[in-house]
Amino acid sequence: MHPRKQVGVTEQTMAGQELVLPTPVTVVRRTVRWDKGLERLQPYLYLLPVMITLGVWIYWPLVRTVYLSFFQWNLLPTTPMIYVGWENYRRILTLPEMQQATVNTLLYILGILPLSVIIPLAVALFTDNISKRWRNFYRALIFVPMIMAPVVVSIIWRWLLNPTVGVVNYALTGGDFVDPVNFFRGETLAIWTIIVITGWKLVGFSTLLFSAAISNINRETIEAASIDGANYWQTVRSIILPLLSPTVLLMVMLSVLLVSQWSFAYINVLTQGGPLGATTNVYYILYMYGFRTFAIGWSSAAAVILFITFGLLAAGLLSLINRYSFYDA
Amino acid sequence: MTSRPVSLSNVTGHLLLMVLVVIAVFPVYWMAATSLKAANAMFQMSLWPANPTAENYRFVWENLPFGLMMGNTVAMASLQMVSQLLTALLAAYAFARWKFWGSRVIFALIAMTWLVPFQVTMIPNYVLLSRLGWLNTLYGLVIPHIASAFSVLLLFQNIKAFPTELIDSSRIDGATSWGTLWRVVMPNLRAPLAALGILLFISAWNEYFWPLLVMTKPERSVIQIGLQMFLTEQGDLWGPLMAAATMASLPIFVLYVILQRQVIDSFVKSGLR
Repeated sequence: MHPRKQVGVTEQTMAGQELVLPTPVTVVRRTVRWDKGLERLQPYLYLLPVMITLGVWIYWPLVRTVYLSFFQWNLLPTTPMIYVGWENYRRILTLPEMQQATVNTLLYILGILPLSVIIPLAVALFTDNISKRWRNFYRALIFVPMIMAPVVVSIIWRWLLNPTVGVVNYALTGGDFVDPVNFFRGETLAIWTIIVITGWKLVGFSTLLFSAAISNINRETIEAASIDGANYWQTVRSIILPLLSPTVLLMVMLSVLLVSQWSFAYINVLTQGGPLGATTNVYYILYMYGFRTFAIGWSSAAAVILFITFGLLAAGLLSLINRYSFYDA
Repeated sequence: MTSRPVSLSNVTGHLLLMVLVVIAVFPVYWMAATSLKAANAMFQMSLWPANPTAENYRFVWENLPFGLMMGNTVAMASLQMVSQLLTALLAAYAFARWKFWGSRVIFALIAMTWLVPFQVTMIPNYVLLSRLGWLNTLYGLVIPHIASAFSVLLLFQNIKAFPTELIDSSRIDGATSWGTLWRVVMPNLRAPLAALGILLFISAWNEYFWPLLVMTKPERSVIQIGLQMFLTEQGDLWGPLMAAATMASLPIFVLYVILQRQVIDSFVKSGLR
C-alpha cells in the first residue's frame, strides 16, 4: 500500500479540496482565488454531460408532454396547435378503447407475475442444492432468451405458433393441422399468447436472479435453523423467504412497471394491438395515438396520467422494498 | 443442504431445470434449424434439417441491404456503449470524490429519470429530433441515449465500494482530479466497466422502440427495424426470415459464448440493484 496511507485522517471540507492533516505532508496549497473557484466548479463539470443529456432528452420533454396535453395537434409543423384546456384528459378518461387498454394492462400484470415471480421462485428454491458444475450448465442455457432481441423473438414465435405450418400446432393437432389453434387471432387467446412470449424471455433470468439471492443468504443462519430441528420447508418459510423478500418485491415491481414496455415489441410486430384491440395496453395506445393516428394531445394526456399513476405505484413499492431490506444481514 | 431428502429433491431439481432448458432453448434452436432447410423441406418437422443448405442465407444477402444494416447496428451499439460508459464514469466519479452543494438533489434527479417511461417523452423527443434534421441518422439514434441513470448508479456503487484512501493518497500527491480518474480510479473499475459495457452493448443491439420512430429507410436502418420490415413485406418466406433472424442474433451469441459468465452476472446484478 501507499506509505501515505498511514497519515490516516483525510477530512474533507464541504468544498472538498482542502485536507486537514495532522502530520505535515506535501499538500499543494492553492492560494490564487480564481483557481479555487475553478476547483469548486469541478464536480459540476464532471456531471455536465449526464445532466445535459438527461435534461434535454428526459426532463425537458416531460415538461413539453404536459404542455402538449392541453393542445390539439397532429404532429405536422405546419398545422397550428389549438389550446383545448382539459378536454384531452376528459376524452382520454371516457374513451372505450382506453378503458379496454387499462383492463388489458391489468391482465398483462396479473398474467406476467406467475412467469416472472412465482415459477422462477419455486424453481430457484427447488434447485438450490444442485452442484455448481451442473448449475452453471443450466444457467448458461436457461438465460439464452434474455439476450435475444424482441423482434427476433417475435419472428421465432410467429413461426412456432403458425396455424398451418407451425410446430406447436403440428404437435397439438397430431400432425394434420385440422382445426389448429389460432394463437394470435383468438380474441381471448391473443393476449395470453403475448403474455407467454413476454414471460418466455424473462423466466430464466428471473430464476437466476432468485438463485443468486438464495446463495447470498448466510449458510450459518440456515444451518442454525436445521440444528434447532427445523425441516427444509420450515427453513424456507421462516428464514429464506423473509430474507428473499426484497428481491421478490423488486421483481414484482419491475414486472408491474415494465410489463407493458416489455410486451410492446411483441404487440407491434405480432398483433398491432388486435384482434379488435384485445392485445393493446396503455403504452401501446400511447404509441398508436402518437404515431399512427397523430392525436398528439390525446397521447400526451394519457402519458401524463400514466406517468403519475406509475410514479405513485413505484414510490409505494420502493418504500415497501426499503422496509423489508433491513433483513439483509 | 439441511434435513431434506437429498436424492429425491435432486432429481426434481434436475428435472425442473431440464424442462426449463428445453423451453428456453428449443425456439432458438428451431430458428437456426429452419434457416438451414431448403424451401421444399421447410414444413418437415424433423428435428434436424435433412439436407442443410445455405440457400436462405444467400437469399437474405442478395435481397436485403443486410451488411449495411449490420454495420449501422454495430456502429450504433458501440457508440452508445462507449459514450454511456464515459458519461457515467465522469458523473459517478464526481459523486464519489466530492461533497458539493446540490449533490443530493442532482443525484436524486438523475436517479428519478429511471422512472420516466420512454413512451412519456417520445413525442417531444421525436419533434426535437426532426427539427434538428436527425431523423434517419446515427446521431438521432445515439445522442438521446448517451447518458442513463442506471449506468451512473451502477458505477457509483462500484467507485464507492473501493477504498477512499486510493483517491485521497493520489490527491495528496498533488495529482489533478482528471489524472486521478484515469490513473487510479479507471484501472480499479475495469471489471464493472466491462460488465456494464456488455450489458449496454446487448441492450443497444436489441433496442427496438426508438429506432422504430427514428429510422424509416431500410438501408439507413438498424438490423431490428430491417428484420421487421422484411417480416411485414415477406412474412411467409420462413426460411429466409429465420436466416435473417439468426444472422441478426449472431454477434450477441458470439459475445455470449465467449463472455457467458460476465453477461449473466451483469444482467443479474442490474436486477439486484
